[in-house]
Amino acid sequence: MTAETYSSKAVDRSRLHNRLRAMVTQENLITIVVALIVAGAVLVPLMVLFVSSFKVLDPSGWDTTWGFGNYVTMFTDRIIPKAFVNTLIISSGSTILATLLGVSLAWINARTNCPGRSYLEPYNLIPFFLSPFVGAIAWHNLGEPQTGLLNNLARAVFGIEGAIINIDNIWGVIWVTGIFFAPLVYLFVVGSLRRMDPSLEDSARTTGAGLIRTTMTVTLPLVMPGILSGAIIVFVTSAGEFGVPFKLSAPYGWETLTTQIFSKAVGDDANHYMGAAMSMALGVITVFLIWVQQRYIAPRSFTTVTGKGFRPNVLDLGPWRWVAFGYNIFFILVAVVLPIVCLIIVSLHPVWTGKIVVADMTTINYVKTLMWWHPEAISAATNGIGNSLILAFGGASISMVLALVISYMIHRTKGFGVRMLDFLSMVPIGFPGIVLAMGVLVTYIQTPIYATLWILMLAYITRFFPYGQRNISSIMLAISEELDQSSRMAGASWFTTLRRITIPLLKPGLFAGWILLFIIFLRELSISIILFTTGTETLSVGVYYLTNFENEPLTSALSMAQTVMLLIAIYAFRRLAGREALTA
Amino acid sequence: MNTQEDTGAYLEVQNLVKYFGNDRAVDDISFAVPKGAFLTLLGPSGCGKTTTLMSVAGLHSIDGGRIRVGDVVYTSPSEGLFLPPEKRDIGMVFQSYAIWPHMTVAKNVSYPLEIRKVNQSEIDDRVNEVLALVGLTAETDKLATNLSGGQQQRASLARAIVAKPRLLLFDEPLSNLDLKLREQMRVELKRIQNEVGITAIYVTHDQSEALVMSDEIIVMSKGKIEQRGGPLEIYSRPVNEYVSNFIGVANLLKAKVRDTNGSGQGVVEVSQDGQTMTVPCQMGPGIGAGDDAVLSVRPENVHAVRESNGGNIVEGEVTNAIFLGNYVDCRVKWGSFEWKVIAHPRTRLKAGEKVFLEFDPEHTLAVQP
Repeated sequence: MTAETYSSKAVDRSRLHNRLRAMVTQENLITIVVALIVAGAVLVPLMVLFVSSFKVLDPSGWDTTWGFGNYVTMFTDRIIPKAFVNTLIISSGSTILATLLGVSLAWINARTNCPGRSYLEPYNLIPFFLSPFVGAIAWHNLGEPQTGLLNNLARAVFGIEGAIINIDNIWGVIWVTGIFFAPLVYLFVVGSLRRMDPSLEDSARTTGAGLIRTTMTVTLPLVMPGILSGAIIVFVTSAGEFGVPFKLSAPYGWETLTTQIFSKAVGDDANHYMGAAMSMALGVITVFLIWVQQRYIAPRSFTTVTGKGFRPNVLDLGPWRWVAFGYNIFFILVAVVLPIVCLIIVSLHPVWTGKIVVADMTTINYVKTLMWWHPEAISAATNGIGNSLILAFGGASISMVLALVISYMIHRTKGFGVRMLDFLSMVPIGFPGIVLAMGVLVTYIQTPIYATLWILMLAYITRFFPYGQRNISSIMLAISEELDQSSRMAGASWFTTLRRITIPLLKPGLFAGWILLFIIFLRELSISIILFTTGTETLSVGVYYLTNFENEPLTSALSMAQTVMLLIAIYAFRRLAGREALTA
Repeated sequence: MNTQEDTGAYLEVQNLVKYFGNDRAVDDISFAVPKGAFLTLLGPSGCGKTTTLMSVAGLHSIDGGRIRVGDVVYTSPSEGLFLPPEKRDIGMVFQSYAIWPHMTVAKNVSYPLEIRKVNQSEIDDRVNEVLALVGLTAETDKLATNLSGGQQQRASLARAIVAKPRLLLFDEPLSNLDLKLREQMRVELKRIQNEVGITAIYVTHDQSEALVMSDEIIVMSKGKIEQRGGPLEIYSRPVNEYVSNFIGVANLLKAKVRDTNGSGQGVVEVSQDGQTMTVPCQMGPGIGAGDDAVLSVRPENVHAVRESNGGNIVEGEVTNAIFLGNYVDCRVKWGSFEWKVIAHPRTRLKAGEKVFLEFDPEHTLAVQP
């Protein structure tokens, strides 16, 4: 009897042992570790942000009490309600502008015989990769009433008084944000336009519908999910955009939510709890919109489902094709060429008065911002270059490793926690960088990583790894799971399979994702501006420092340096990822 | 104890259960396969055949039961045992072939050997040997993406057998090929399996594939085994309506068993729109006098004649007769039932003619509904 009990216990124990051993696999261990890291990185700052928003700073500035005071202040404050309204106006305005530009340009490029359209496409997309903040700086120098280059040219050429344009207001913000985010809509729409099965339209034509009717009843409804998705993304991105309103409207009395959050994060007016509450308010709006987009609009993209390599119908515009061509050239001119030319001109002057003086031209601004060994070097600028390169290389690499593991888990394993992980890697997309940065700030301000590059790295990766993950996921979905399974059947372990089969197959996607993140990190502003301290400035923070405390020529010089670095990265991206990487 | 020598079973699946959510995808099935045999799991999509195969492969866990090959237990949840797929020593041919596009044919095929740390000269020998066996010697250094569908299929097979695994699994490998190639590859696959002498499990929904290739067929539906047997047995003696209907073509009529003689013969009564016929026939397993049954007659076992001469007689009208060269495919209306009849071209049956149908009791079967 005792012996029997004993032996059955021993069997139980070995059964448990076996079961545990079956669970401890390379696959499960890595899954759990990554899930915990992601959950911690994504959820902790947001939860701390939420909790902090209910702490009210008392007038002495030393003690806090719990309550809804911060949220009440948002409605009673002198500035914040106006900032709310301004944010909504700017987001709506730039969404309308970007959608009109994006859809029309996509249609011209995908479906008409506009001359040279295959050459125009890459230039249409360039603003997507450049910094809107730098765009705002350039447009300030183009359209400022007194010193704006365009206004001065108009005065000189046409002999008019005053200014033809004034960019320093809420409409200027809408203009710059709109033209810089137009490529977002373009990218959402051009794919479905290009891959649309021509028989869908042809069959409408055979039933007797004319061209316009077919466009309105077949083409447009088919592309509508893409347009709506693009519009929502633009709205959300504009609402979270800091650099453009900071440069063009805040100094002239049009505060936005982001510029207000910034003023609560650093400086004389700082109140992290108030900043947390405002971040929550902004975050709730953006999360809701992204949720609607992901849940209801993205699944309705019809054409991606049937998409095969069709040759879409191309519309002969007749003489109008030259109008379309001119329109496209105009877009590239205002979005890419004019800003860059203006940056170069301004950066070559010792001081900028709005007039080009060839005799005064100098390279001193580049010396001061780029040559860190030079005695007159400005450390905020030179630090920024070094730090941003470190963050971009390191951050992009870590993000892609994380993205690879997460995509693998979501698409290749069926274990627990996978849906949770899918959700977690969606969450950061819903929050503007500045909101997440506020969360990271209140969470880590008392830890040793505060005031180091690590906190920036952490926030960058947390906010942007989902982009890399999406990049890999889309390729992984296209690669049959049987390719992995057959490696396991051939006797290779999970890790060997990853190394020898999965990663080599994903290589193009990994490279494209890496460069995309590299570009994003190299120009990142709204996270950096909340989390930087002296010594950990980034490139965009350097630009911010120069525009705030130095002069326009120095600002333009560093902006130009950043733009050149970004253009090189874009070139590499196109070489590696191929023409179809973004638009397909 | 039950060793493989005792039972003659090389692969043994006992009481396999697999849930997907609340669905019992595989519902308590057991079967055993002797060494070197070719077993086919046959059924429509969703019947659990692929799930069974994946359970053997270890590509997912199972919720109950035990799978053993030779003296190695692959998986047994009650004992907490789960051997990861790479430790099972299995070769598998997938539906999509799963030829790695970033490697050459030779690299694809040598991969299992590299994983097993076989030395390079032996790898070369084995790869050449197996590529010769599947007829891909000329394609050795091509990138996998430059192969045709049939060639990818061969490469996939070569990769599956190169390491001489314990077991060879096929997951609908021919379903992506065109008809002609499919028919050719059936014979080829079977030949190679025979030559290598490896135990194989083959999953398909194509009954003719199953009939041509298998030593044994398991017909599945809704996660359960409907019937198991050799191709001829499954075809000529289906045990129930489902199998009769799934394999080949059959005339199926609701019937009532009148009488059985205890040695496998009996008489059933079929009523159709007020007409009744009494049919002597073979009795399938599990039915006795008074039971509901289904009468199953293959079209080629129905003889249509113009003049009555006794026997099993039904009088009907030819509604359609399609001449197909070596036979005539006829439909004969009997009340609201339409008989499918295969007639010899010599009979020259025409639509509109009155005919009598005759069934040979040897080839007429009453089965479970």
